[in-house]
Amino acid sequence: MKLDLQRLSVLVVEDSPFIRSLLANSLKVLGVGQVSLAEDGSRAIEFLQLVKKDPVRAGTMNVDLVLSNWQMSPVDGAMLLRWLRRHKDSPDRFMPFLMITAYSERARVQEARELGVNEVMTKPFTIRTLGEKLIAVINRNRQFVHTRDYFGPDRRRQNLPFDGKDRRSLTDKSPEVEIIHG
Amino acid sequence: MAEAAKPGVKVRFYRLRNRLKDKTAGLGSGMDGGIEIDTAALEAAQKIFEEMAEDYPDWVSNQIAQLYELHRRCVDTPEQRRGLFEQITAMAHDLKGQGGTFGYPLVTTFATSLNRFSTLRNDIRDSHVEIIKAHIDAMRAVIRDRIKGDGGAIGAALTRGLEQVISKYRD
Repeated sequence: MKLDLQRLSVLVVEDSPFIRSLLANSLKVLGVGQVSLAEDGSRAIEFLQLVKKDPVRAGTMNVDLVLSNWQMSPVDGAMLLRWLRRHKDSPDRFMPFLMITAYSERARVQEARELGVNEVMTKPFTIRTLGEKLIAVINRNRQFVHTRDYFGPDRRRQNLPFDGKDRRSLTDKSPEVEIIHG
Repeated sequence: MAEAAKPGVKVRFYRLRNRLKDKTAGLGSGMDGGIEIDTAALEAAQKIFEEMAEDYPDWVSNQIAQLYELHRRCVDTPEQRRGLFEQITAMAHDLKGQGGTFGYPLVTTFATSLNRFSTLRNDIRDSHVEIIKAHIDAMRAVIRDRIKGDGGAIGAALTRGLEQVISKYRD
C-alpha cells in the first residue's frame, strides 16, 4: 500500500534555520500536505495552543505529528514532549512525536523513551532515514500506557519469545488493569 | 491524566484507532499490512537534499566566522570566557549534527571534539582558548578545501595536527 501524505499536517521544531528549511522542503517533496515551523519548544507550544483556539489564524486545522529537535533553547525538545504528554493544556496527549537528536548515546535515547517519544532519529540523518522514521510512526500504532510514573507509547515494541521468568505481573484481565478503546 | 475512577487500577492501556494510518492510506486502504513510502517521492526528496547540501559549505563558513568572533572575545575579555565557552558548546553541538549529513564527516569529528572540550567552565586558561582556535582552524580547512568523506591523507594530517595542539596546550 502506498503512502499518501497529502492530508498530513506536520509541525517541525528546529532552531537551526538551515536544518529547519531542509526538513520542511524534504517533507513537502515527500508529499506532506501541511508543514508548519517553529524555532524552539516554546514557540511550538504557543503554536499548538493557537491551532487549538484559532486554527484559521494558525493556518492549519490541526497537527498530526511533531518532528522536533532535542537541543534548543529556551525550551528544548524534551520539555516540549513532556508538555504534550503531561500538561493540562496539551491539545493531544497522544500526539505522535519524532525526536531528532545529535545525542546518540544509549542513555539519551533511553531518556527520550521514558518521556514518551514515538521514534528517535539521530543526526546526521539521510532522507531515507527520515522517510523510514515517518513510516515507523505511522505504521507502529503502539498502545499508550499510563502508570504512576509513565505516560506514553508502550515501550515494549515487540512480543519476542523470552526464556526467563515473565516479570510482568498484570494481564489484560487483571483487576488493576483498565483498557480504553477509542 | 485524571486519577483512576476505578479503585485499584494501576495501569491503563489506551488502544486507539490509528488515525495517522487512516489519513495516509492511499489506494487500497482498508487492506491490512504496512504502508510504504513512494520511491519516486523519496528520490525527489533526496535530490532537494543534495541541492541544499551544495549550500552547506557557505552556511558553515558563516558559523565558523561566528566561532572566530567568539574566540576573539575569549582573548580580549577573559572575564567573559565562561559565557563565551557556553555559546561555543552550543554552536559546536549544532555543527556536530550536520557535518555528516552533508558529506563532511570531518566537520562532525572536529565539532564533536570542540563540543566536548568547550564544556570547560572553570579556570579557563589562555592555553584552553588556543585549543578552541585549533578546532576552528581545522573545521575551516575542511570547508575551504571541500574535504569530503574522511579526507584521506589530508584528513588524517588535520586530525593529527589538532591532536598535537591539544596535547601541547592541555593543562
